[in-house]
Amino acid sequence: MIDRREQVLAHLMLGVFAVIALAPIVRILGMSLSDPGNFSVAWDQGHFGTYMRSSVLVTSAVVVAAGLLSILAGYAFGMMRFRGEQVLFYLFLVGLMVPLEATIVPLYYDLRDLGLTDTYWALILPQAGVSVAFGTFWMRAFFRSVPRSLVEAARLDGSSSWSTLWRVVLPLGRPAVLTMVVLIFMWTWNEFLLALVMVSDEALRTAPLGLAFFQGRNTTDEALLAAGAVIVATPVVIVYVFLQRHFIRGMLSGATKG
Amino acid sequence: MGDVAFRGAVKRFGTVEAVRDLTLEVADGELMVLVGPSGSGKTTALRMLAGLEAVDAGEVAVAGRVVNDVSPRDRDVAMVFQDYALYPQMTVRDNLAFGLRRRRLAREEILRRVNATAETLGLGALLDRRPRELSGGQQQRVALGRALARRPRVLLMDEPLSNLDAALRVQARAEIKRLQQDVGTTTIYVTHDQLEALTLGDRVAVMNEGTLEQVGTPEQLYDEPVNVFVGGFIGSPAMSILPWAGGGLLLGVRPEHVRPWEEGLLGPLDGRVAYVEALGRETLVGVDTDAGARLVTVLPGRARLAVGEPLRLGLVPAGVRRFSPDGAAEDARFPEHRVGGPG
Repeated sequence: MIDRREQVLAHLMLGVFAVIALAPIVRILGMSLSDPGNFSVAWDQGHFGTYMRSSVLVTSAVVVAAGLLSILAGYAFGMMRFRGEQVLFYLFLVGLMVPLEATIVPLYYDLRDLGLTDTYWALILPQAGVSVAFGTFWMRAFFRSVPRSLVEAARLDGSSSWSTLWRVVLPLGRPAVLTMVVLIFMWTWNEFLLALVMVSDEALRTAPLGLAFFQGRNTTDEALLAAGAVIVATPVVIVYVFLQRHFIRGMLSGATKG
Repeated sequence: MGDVAFRGAVKRFGTVEAVRDLTLEVADGELMVLVGPSGSGKTTALRMLAGLEAVDAGEVAVAGRVVNDVSPRDRDVAMVFQDYALYPQMTVRDNLAFGLRRRRLAREEILRRVNATAETLGLGALLDRRPRELSGGQQQRVALGRALARRPRVLLMDEPLSNLDAALRVQARAEIKRLQQDVGTTTIYVTHDQLEALTLGDRVAVMNEGTLEQVGTPEQLYDEPVNVFVGGFIGSPAMSILPWAGGGLLLGVRPEHVRPWEEGLLGPLDGRVAYVEALGRETLVGVDTDAGARLVTVLPGRARLAVGEPLRLGLVPAGVRRFSPDGAAEDARFPEHRVGGPG
């Protein structure tokens, strides 16, 4: 039994951290809303018409490609025994642990040699690669949590590995898959460095780069910057709100055995 | 020629031999029960037959065909799992139909079989429900139905009743027995419960530490256990084992063959009451003999005995089984000419 003083203290601490987390967001919202005209000005100055289109295209491609590959790779790692399984899995973990910043320079030269810089591929391929490392790790954990007898029953029922995955196992993993989708979506949407380095063509730039326009050499228009930030963040917030129930369930599914 | 055969089958997990040189034939239409304590290899043997565990040595055959290298789906076996393993997101109907669809049966045939199975098992009203909306007993019947709808050559059951409460278990046991006799599918049933084994099995195979100890009808196992292990495992309370003739021999005797001393019995054996279990119709009495062994006797009605009270017992000669000191049964029951006091 937690006594009353402890409870008050806990709420106090949580409250303090909530304020610390929320304060900048509230401030940005406040600044951007100071003049509703900010948004249309920011939309034009930030080139969001074009940039949003690029962002949507790149992000959907990454989410679909990385999501599918992660499901397939996670299924293999989680449910099948094969030679080199351990070594390969550690390789995936390396992909998860090495930050993109560490590899971006050689990556740039590689992609340039392949003639892919200044194309959408330069944004999609590296981001998909990084996401597959996480996605595989994530989906493997889900597949490991599925009762083995379920898969064995399907095998005896004459189901192939492929139909066992899609018909028997994956329908149970909707929270896990949706959580993965939200995370990959968010990371890809917010990716800044890759887009900054790999493309110079105006038409290919993504939304986060638009924010750079508001940072002048000497002056920064804070109200417009705030409005731009809100514009860029909105799609992520919308996706999250739609999927949050699944998202939280997916996050918790690793926590309790059930 | 058996419908199912293990011939010298071996399964190793690392250095542990989970199943040792198992040789066992199951006849067409027979209900064979594999029984043993946990870790005896009974479930592993079943999974080898299903194709869920590889066979490390020897052969496993179904319908005269060696299936060591045949994938589970092509062995024509169906299995009822201990946790039922029903597909949670599918309705009962889809659970029953899943295996039939994977085998590309005609739509009308699938419908016919699903309905027939549902009727046999009384699942008609549940066809549109999902597994989590069913009671444990209903889930168990769906699992059985899913296996039977496929009309497999061999039906495997891995402790299918262990998740049910006691009353339901007895009822489900009778239902499985009746159903198996009706459809006549060769069935291998794994359990750790010797009573379940005796009541269900046409024959029972007793396993211990990966080794097959004895195969026989329930009567044979009860009356003529081939060794001390089987004697102690089959029957409740277990066969009492006591040293005889200066330790040169072990005697096994069941409670119904241990009686208060009178002329014509083997004995006498003196001891003190160690425990009294009044079961209503009869009373089980455990007695620690002065020779150091524990005997259990069953007395009719309510015996008025106190713990520590002295008791003189004798053994019914026809009910005594002889074992050599290593635990294996000697060839015959206790011969008349050896009747006499403890040597």
